[in-house]
Amino acid sequence: MKQRLSLMYLSFILIISSRESSSSIPSNSFIGIPPQDEDYFKREIIKCKNGSKKFTKAQLNDDFCDCPDGTDEPGTSACPLGKFYCKNIGHAPSFLYSSRVNDGICDCCDGSDEYDGKVKCPYTCHEAGKVAMESLKRKIEVYQEGVILRNVEIGLAKRAIARDKAELSRLKNEREVVEKNICWMSFLFHRLRWQVRKLEQEPQEKDDKRNEKVENEESGPDKNVDRQIEPMKASDVEKQGKAGESPSDQNEKDKHESSEGLSREELGRLVESRWTGKKMKNDQLNKHIQMNQEEGGPDAGYEESVVDNAGRSSTAQYKIGVQDLKNSSDITTPSGKSWLDKIQETAQNFLQSVNLFSIPVVNLDANKIRKEYNHYTAKLSDLESRISSLTEKLKFDFGKQNKFYLFYDRCFELKQDKYVYKVCPFRNATQEDGRSKTQLG
Amino acid sequence: MKMKQVAFLFLIFLASQTVHSWKKDEFRACDQTPFCKRARFRKPGACTLIAHDVSISDGDLTAKLIPKAPHDQDQDQIKPLTLSVSVYQDGIMRLKIDEDPSLDPPKKRFQVADVVISEFETRKLWLQSASTEKINGDDGGLSSVVYLSDGYEAVLRHDPFEVYVREEAGNRRVVSLNSHGLFDFEQLRVKKEDEDWEERFRGHTDTRPYGPQSISFDVSFYGSDFVYGIPEHATSFALKPTRGPGVEESEPYRLFNLDVFEYLHESPFGIYGSIPFMVSHGKSGQSSGFFWLNAAEMQIDVLAKGWDAEGGILMPTEQSRIDTFWMSEAGIVDTFFFVGPGPKDVVKQCVSVTGLPAMPQLFSTGYHQCRWNYRDEEDVENVDSKFDEHDIPYDVLWLDIEHTDGKRYFTWDKMLFPHPEEMQRKLAAKGRHMVTIVDPHIKRDESFHLHKDASQRGYYVKDATGKDYDGWCWPGSSSYPDMLNPEIRSWWAEKFSYDNYVGSTPSLYIWNDMNEPSVFNGPEVTMPRDALHVGGVEHRELHNAYGYYFHMATAEGLLKRGDGKDRPFVLSRAFFAGSQRYGAVWTGDNSADWDHLRVSVPMVLTLGLTGMTFSGADVGGFFGNPEPELLVRWYQLGAYYPFFRGHAHHDTKRREPWLFGERNTALMRDAIRIRYTLLPYFYTLFREANVSGVPVVRPLWMEFPSDEAAFSNDEAFMVGNSLLVQGIYTARAKHASVYLPGKESWFDLRTGTAYKGGKVHKLEVSEESIPAFQRAGTIVPRKDRFRRSSTQMVHDPYTLVIALNSSQAAEGELYVDDGKSYNFKHGAYIHRRFVFSNGHLTSSPVGNSRFSSDCIIERVILLGYTPGAKTALVEPENQKAEIELGPLRFGGQHAAVAVTIRKPGVRVAEDWKIKIL
Repeated sequence: MKQRLSLMYLSFILIISSRESSSSIPSNSFIGIPPQDEDYFKREIIKCKNGSKKFTKAQLNDDFCDCPDGTDEPGTSACPLGKFYCKNIGHAPSFLYSSRVNDGICDCCDGSDEYDGKVKCPYTCHEAGKVAMESLKRKIEVYQEGVILRNVEIGLAKRAIARDKAELSRLKNEREVVEKNICWMSFLFHRLRWQVRKLEQEPQEKDDKRNEKVENEESGPDKNVDRQIEPMKASDVEKQGKAGESPSDQNEKDKHESSEGLSREELGRLVESRWTGKKMKNDQLNKHIQMNQEEGGPDAGYEESVVDNAGRSSTAQYKIGVQDLKNSSDITTPSGKSWLDKIQETAQNFLQSVNLFSIPVVNLDANKIRKEYNHYTAKLSDLESRISSLTEKLKFDFGKQNKFYLFYDRCFELKQDKYVYKVCPFRNATQEDGRSKTQLG
Repeated sequence: MKMKQVAFLFLIFLASQTVHSWKKDEFRACDQTPFCKRARFRKPGACTLIAHDVSISDGDLTAKLIPKAPHDQDQDQIKPLTLSVSVYQDGIMRLKIDEDPSLDPPKKRFQVADVVISEFETRKLWLQSASTEKINGDDGGLSSVVYLSDGYEAVLRHDPFEVYVREEAGNRRVVSLNSHGLFDFEQLRVKKEDEDWEERFRGHTDTRPYGPQSISFDVSFYGSDFVYGIPEHATSFALKPTRGPGVEESEPYRLFNLDVFEYLHESPFGIYGSIPFMVSHGKSGQSSGFFWLNAAEMQIDVLAKGWDAEGGILMPTEQSRIDTFWMSEAGIVDTFFFVGPGPKDVVKQCVSVTGLPAMPQLFSTGYHQCRWNYRDEEDVENVDSKFDEHDIPYDVLWLDIEHTDGKRYFTWDKMLFPHPEEMQRKLAAKGRHMVTIVDPHIKRDESFHLHKDASQRGYYVKDATGKDYDGWCWPGSSSYPDMLNPEIRSWWAEKFSYDNYVGSTPSLYIWNDMNEPSVFNGPEVTMPRDALHVGGVEHRELHNAYGYYFHMATAEGLLKRGDGKDRPFVLSRAFFAGSQRYGAVWTGDNSADWDHLRVSVPMVLTLGLTGMTFSGADVGGFFGNPEPELLVRWYQLGAYYPFFRGHAHHDTKRREPWLFGERNTALMRDAIRIRYTLLPYFYTLFREANVSGVPVVRPLWMEFPSDEAAFSNDEAFMVGNSLLVQGIYTARAKHASVYLPGKESWFDLRTGTAYKGGKVHKLEVSEESIPAFQRAGTIVPRKDRFRRSSTQMVHDPYTLVIALNSSQAAEGELYVDDGKSYNFKHGAYIHRRFVFSNGHLTSSPVGNSRFSSDCIIERVILLGYTPGAKTALVEPENQKAEIELGPLRFGGQHAAVAVTIRKPGVRVAEDWKIKIL
């Protein structure tokens, strides 16, 4: 009995030592082979899977690469393209790159990739399985929550779209009325002026000043009637501004070049900025973005890009813009009827007053009309911008069933360390760190 | 739309204009540098100094240099200068010329300290006597001649004074100084009342309190067709003439360590480092060298043939010759003449003065992944895991300046890197290392302990008025420790202890950047020349060595940290002669374009030739976004740089190897893996450099000294004596012309195809690799198993690739040690010599090794062997091994083209013989 024990002990030692000396040849020649493939390797002569070569059973996992595709060495590191299969009972099985076999690092949770005795790997599959299960469960929960949320969003989006569409058609109707009235008022105004001239022709020696004044004022509505031109002119001014900027830019750069006359700190910062690109490059980038938006961007983006010009938070500005719109529509929607009526009322009032042929009254009326006229043109442009932004909005792709519709005006903020990430889904994404702000594109 | 394009183009134009226009005038050209301008106006023969009182004292040949006919007005020049010639073992002559300290000059001139290694003095040969000879035809006539080494003599001609080295027999000259009489030595003197010594440049004023003190002289190399060396310039390997007939843009090579933003790829302007060492080589197959130990601004002209047509000075005409002109702003003449005669001899002679390259840790010879900046711990973890996901090996992950707390080095940004130790441990668990940046500028912030400590101790460099110099760099207002002072260096070294550098672990190593030093608001983006170092030494006198001292102090810090047992790894951008003792350098902020890929080869070759063997260029180019093709080509070339690191500017797009589609990932993976399979060969070469100075990456002519076609070839280079590599430097290249030198064949590393030597081959080029060949007659050791990093390769078996020459013979070496410690200095290494001849491969020891390894040789590949044999016999075990056809490389679908001895199973540490039956 004793003898047998000691013999067993001896053979145990022998096994261990032989294992160590034979370095990385596995004792089980089927190591690293997935169960479904085992039959493939049970022949005497085995083909490389890519058909390039044949090898004998003895060459399977003999720690020498015979097949360029690694077929013959699934369980060793000999073939660079080999894949090692870990059973990982208690968790999911996995394949490893052959580079992980016997590299001293435990990769499989069952530790089967480290069999040369250099490291001892703990069996961690049960723990790993549990963790994986937990996280899977959590994932499912999150997904389910998400499905509910999505359905809510879809419902809300449907209603919101219907509301916005109704609003759009209502706004379009309003626009028609306002345009008609503006037309009408313009006509009235011209008629009034004609009448004034007629009255004035008799006492030739009237105040030149007043005349001038009227003429000056007259140009006001005339110009406004020509609304179409206005945005173009504005952008012209922009362009001129830009054109004017380049030489000054140049000057600035000239200054950089000479660098004399800079304070020591300024010089330090200037040279530093070449590497960091913080000042000069950002400016250039901003300009580039501006131009993009100016030239090709949607109308709605136009105002924003101007805001960007000032280098301040465009998201904040945008938000305010949206709120303004909402505010005005909040006010106008209930009282909408009344102001439409008012237009018609005033128009009629004027019609009546026009019949009185005294100069002071006419002048008074002219002023009044001008005032009202200005008021309505402002109204009109407001209406137009609301119409265009609504149409823009409705044009976007909001995904299946318009589930992202309500994201249009929303922004999401994520604070991570010192940065605040702000994503406005249909607008822009930024990264702020208190001082500077980076457009993330 | 058009408008937009035009405007954008205009902006680009403006931007590019500013980049290119300011660069030139931001830095001083020679004619804006008074000493350089003055020196270049000197005419040959202007020097009238003669050697007087020539004698032997203290084992040296000494003399006084005095003007032959002193001019009355030129009172300052009449003080005699002291001259000494010393000779050292192995063919080295040292010539020193200085002011005579006994004559009370206003200031002691600076002699560069701690560059010449202490062992050098022990190799001095004490001269007993000098013979005097009369050279025929010379009216002055007398020369003193001393023994230099076997076959060489050092000669001092008295009138006019000239120093040269010649071959003993036949009177053939090797290197000479002042043969053209251009020598000038501006002696320190008292300022005259009407003099203005100040110099102004772009708003900066240099007070120059000691006035003019420059030195200039001519050096001639005989039997020379090309000169090389004097890094660092982004220019061709063979140095083009800078003055004389046919030279259009006449600007000398400048040695002045500068942080040049977006340096140009073809320019003699100085960049980050300086090694004033020049090597000459000629048709005779012989080389010689000249080194001037001087750390002040230096300008060097290579003179075109015929530059002295009107000089009227007769030079020996039977030898081809290259004349050069050396100018320095300050310091002394402390020069070394190296006789060669082989190219490797010259390098050996130079490093016997400035020190052998350090033996790097094995991990640092692998691939390094860097970026400005890996943002936080999550980013680090992600990048690390992506390498594993794509099965791409790498060894080191780098953190640039943003990892610190407000650019205070030795600290961590608490938000981004809250757990630096854990982060390093995670990497270390995969056998990987981390490198963090530590620059010399210290933030002037009272709450920063390092600044407080340094300012209280008075350890900062002072400005001209004696206050701590306050410059501007990354942290803003910054000061710079005075690294010239050994006491301050050891104070600095202490900062790297694990206690002082909180958050550092044993797997953390260091990167020294900006150590030229870079000062954003200083003249030429560096420190003012009148800033003051210990002992009143002006910055102008040591400028080029500041980065060297900083690098030295950091390396000493890492050495101390590991109790002297762990080899430091420190990468530096600035360097000087001797930097090879302290670590690696790289070629600084290059750009992502093909020209920069191209120029990286001559730059790395030049560094290797001048002793600085552990070097490389940023793979991919630092500035700008490389096209995927350029990036792939750069990895394919960079895999053969001694130092192999990918790096990028923070405004560039991410460019880790897996970001450009599957195909490109595979190509880059393959390039990096080639490096890893060759690590045993590289490590052996690093050891060769460590004992001989012979660089890892070599010019073709270093291996083929008589092959004229190789002299100016800097498209291709040798890795050791066995591999020849040529980059592909153009987009969509279909063909490449590759010159393969010598008489023996070359075997394509990928296909095993043999090509004849001694001719240019027009080769088809694929995207898969750049042309690379193994020279017939060599044996290259490889490790063909792929791993995560070099750490996991330690136990992996070897492959020997034997490229047989025309007589079916080959030889090669393998060096192995623990890859980390200094135990190799006490014999703990394996050094084998493999010889194949008469069908037998034998392994025998080189030296006495006491290191064990269980590594075996799994495969022997024979190139150029006629197949037929089926088995080989392994002795002494008398076991048989099969011979079959196998692939030459692994990791792809490679055809079985090479005769392979399968599993001989012999151990690398043992003697054995494999006989092909």
